[in-house]
Amino acid sequence: MRVTRLIPRLHWVDWVILALVILFVGYVWTQIAGTLNYKWRWHLIPNYILGWHTVREEWFANLLLQGLMTTIRICIYAGLLSLVFGVILGLARTSRNLTVQLLARTYVEFLRNIPPVVVIFIFFFFLSVPMIEALGLERWARGIARSEDAAVWEFFFGNMRLFPQLVAGTVVLALFESAFVGEIIRAGIQSIERGQREAARSIGMTHWQEMRYIVLPQAMKKVVPPLANQFISLVKDSSIVSLISVQELTFKTLELVASTRMIFEAWLTCAAFYFVICFGLSRLFARLER
Amino acid sequence: MTLTKRALGLALAAGLALGGAGQTLAQSATQALSSESVIESIKREGVLKVGISMFRPWTMRDVNGDLVGFEIDVAQKLADDMGVDVEWTPTAWDGIIPALVAGQFDVIISGMSIRASRNLTINFSDPYAYSGATVLANRAMTEGFSLEDFNSPDVTFAARRGATTVETIMSQFPLAQIVQFDDEGAPTQEVLNGNVHATMASEPLPSSEARRYPETLYVPFDYAFEASGEAFAMRKGDPDAINFFNNWIGVHTRNGWLKERHDYWFRGEEWADMVPD
Repeated sequence: MRVTRLIPRLHWVDWVILALVILFVGYVWTQIAGTLNYKWRWHLIPNYILGWHTVREEWFANLLLQGLMTTIRICIYAGLLSLVFGVILGLARTSRNLTVQLLARTYVEFLRNIPPVVVIFIFFFFLSVPMIEALGLERWARGIARSEDAAVWEFFFGNMRLFPQLVAGTVVLALFESAFVGEIIRAGIQSIERGQREAARSIGMTHWQEMRYIVLPQAMKKVVPPLANQFISLVKDSSIVSLISVQELTFKTLELVASTRMIFEAWLTCAAFYFVICFGLSRLFARLER
Repeated sequence: MTLTKRALGLALAAGLALGGAGQTLAQSATQALSSESVIESIKREGVLKVGISMFRPWTMRDVNGDLVGFEIDVAQKLADDMGVDVEWTPTAWDGIIPALVAGQFDVIISGMSIRASRNLTINFSDPYAYSGATVLANRAMTEGFSLEDFNSPDVTFAARRGATTVETIMSQFPLAQIVQFDDEGAPTQEVLNGNVHATMASEPLPSSEARRYPETLYVPFDYAFEASGEAFAMRKGDPDAINFFNNWIGVHTRNGWLKERHDYWFRGEEWADMVPD
């Protein structure tokens, strides 16, 4: 009785489709196995996730897990930052001041019409490198890395010697994503009925009061689902910052491949990590929406 | 008479003053040059920042996720001799020269061979290692090929983008096709799969891969192509840095330290357990 409830009743068409899918996967697999001259070494992979340190003799997060943690950190910080920038952009796009409107429009169109890889290189070399230098972040982070009590810092930012790179990756990613977040916010603001805004003005609210108490609270409710989607894109886009040598999951996978030549094992594991995060997030957001 | 004398005296005084000014100007320029040297900033910060890219056995991650390899030994020894810490910045090979120019690190110590095209943008020290590239070929596809047979439009080579082997293939086999990949593993895998005829890489990679897949892979020529020498790379306009690095390399070449380390990583197999291959 339980079994019948677990497996929903399948029509014979479903069985045919299922069989075809299995056949297709099997065919692809035999094709790969036949043409691919490769010695699989899956047994080595677990060590590169959670390893037993041969010198310190303790469990530690090895390359892939280190990369995953950096990816998570970057995504959280860049997500928050792009939300801040995005709200500013969204407000600017709906501003009554033409100059502000045009500036925001220019920024958004510029970012939406250039491939992310190019944007990331431009932002990195022309924006985040000079910014990090001007703020003296590198010296500051090294000072912390050398001090005794770096544990709290390391919990939030990982290895402090790599802090400037983390900042660069976060800023670059946030600037890039903020264009899309800005568009979502703008759509949210513009979706509020005109009557609501007119009512606000008729009881004597200023423009900012109208935004703060009437428009934004309603708009925010509407933009949560698209924002959640955008966050999932951000997780996937974060792999691009490996190009500017931020030590996240993709970069660590590249390092592992270069060191051990486990090309397929390493990349498949990397893909699995991204899938778990993104699919997990999408299930979580779906549940929260209900 | 007196007028010309006076004029002469004036001219002399003016000349002296100008000469003196020129001298002090030159002095301050040299001072500025040496105080802006990367050597000074390394001493000031107490840290040597080294740009590296993963390249077996130059730089690798071992089973503990730590950096090991020939370059790691070299950079560590260099920093120890300078009395400073060392900080490694693993960088994608494609972007390592722009990153150096942008000031992301002080020096590239990453098995970078001296090439005229690179030398136009950055400076090189004297070579501290010599490794030549050899061909690694697919046995079934190229059995019995002579050197000339590889130089044909029907032959495809795989290589790592931005590596000197790309230029070597172009000059040695100008007619052959080249496909490029971002990391070291992919070109070898393409040869294994029979998608390309051959790849070119620095030893010991070709020999060790040929030992691992003897039925599929082999090294057709037992000599190296264009052994160019690997050197430290740094930003232009820094004579003090070149002088320091050249002398450091000179000392450790003469006392045999560099050769001993090179043999350990390139000829020995003692480290093989630490970096599964």
